[in-house]
Amino acid sequence: MPTFEDEGKRPAEITSRPLLTVKIIAAPLQKFGAIPYGVRSFVPVAGGDFEGPRLRGKVLPGGGDWLLLRSDGVLELDLRITLETDDHALIYMTFQGLRHGPPDVITAFSRGEVVDPARYYFRTVPRFETSAEAYAFLNRIVAIGVGETRPDGAVHRIDEIL
Amino acid sequence: MTSRLLMMLQVVVSPPQKLGAVPHGTRVIAPIMSGTFEGPRLRGKVLGGGDWTLSRSDAVLELDLRITLETDDGALISMTSFGLRHGPPEVLAALTRGESVDPSSYYFRTAPRFETSAAKYAFLNRLVAIASGNRLPTGPIYTINEIL
Repeated sequence: MPTFEDEGKRPAEITSRPLLTVKIIAAPLQKFGAIPYGVRSFVPVAGGDFEGPRLRGKVLPGGGDWLLLRSDGVLELDLRITLETDDHALIYMTFQGLRHGPPDVITAFSRGEVVDPARYYFRTVPRFETSAEAYAFLNRIVAIGVGETRPDGAVHRIDEIL
Repeated sequence: MTSRLLMMLQVVVSPPQKLGAVPHGTRVIAPIMSGTFEGPRLRGKVLGGGDWTLSRSDAVLELDLRITLETDDGALISMTSFGLRHGPPEVLAALTRGESVDPSSYYFRTAPRFETSAAKYAFLNRLVAIASGNRLPTGPIYTINEIL
């Protein structure tokens, strides 16, 4: 059995490069309250836009982020949105992610304030589906997003894992 | 994006269960019976599980792994990961034949998630991670990084 010290068998280095930044404009929050897994709420998506070296366009209205506040204080995110590129390709984007931080940061979010993103952890794993040949590379990549909560929604800087 | 090493993980797979063509692609289940993991903050052995792989029509292999980790101090950790594997046809054919190939010659990346009730390892419940894999004849080896 190979060992972890066996350099030749080690997986490739994990590196990344910017894929796109997506800005999401949220509609008013819908609160479902306490459900068996935690406290559930839903943020409908009203629109937005995205831009990266290889694609840009807008976020179509519809979809949203199904939030679950867990008993350990971590917020689980579960987003589904549709992106439309400037050359009219449709891209289905989902992510699952986590957001957590000190109590004063979470309180500031609830007051709609802007908080330095270095003060909280907001990371996601986006996935993409498209039938457009020009963007088929999106079907084949694993990605990571660094999120920022904004008063009107969120901004996600998404890197492709190379 | 910045990251740091969480652990190296190696799993040993049993003979694959080939289910053949299913509505989403070609399904092959790789049972996992054992393995080991080691990182700066945790180490131990793999108790078992499997990887439910799906070969899609675009020649990408989707990975859907579920295993149980047991740390050397007796904590149980549930690990799941979603991932993708693809590469040049000759590289994939060599992997299928059970040969070792250069890990940089194909794409094998996953996004693991963890669950545990052990307070010492509760940090695993709160992190997002990325792994790079290499398929060895006995089973894959992964470098798993925590996204900081």
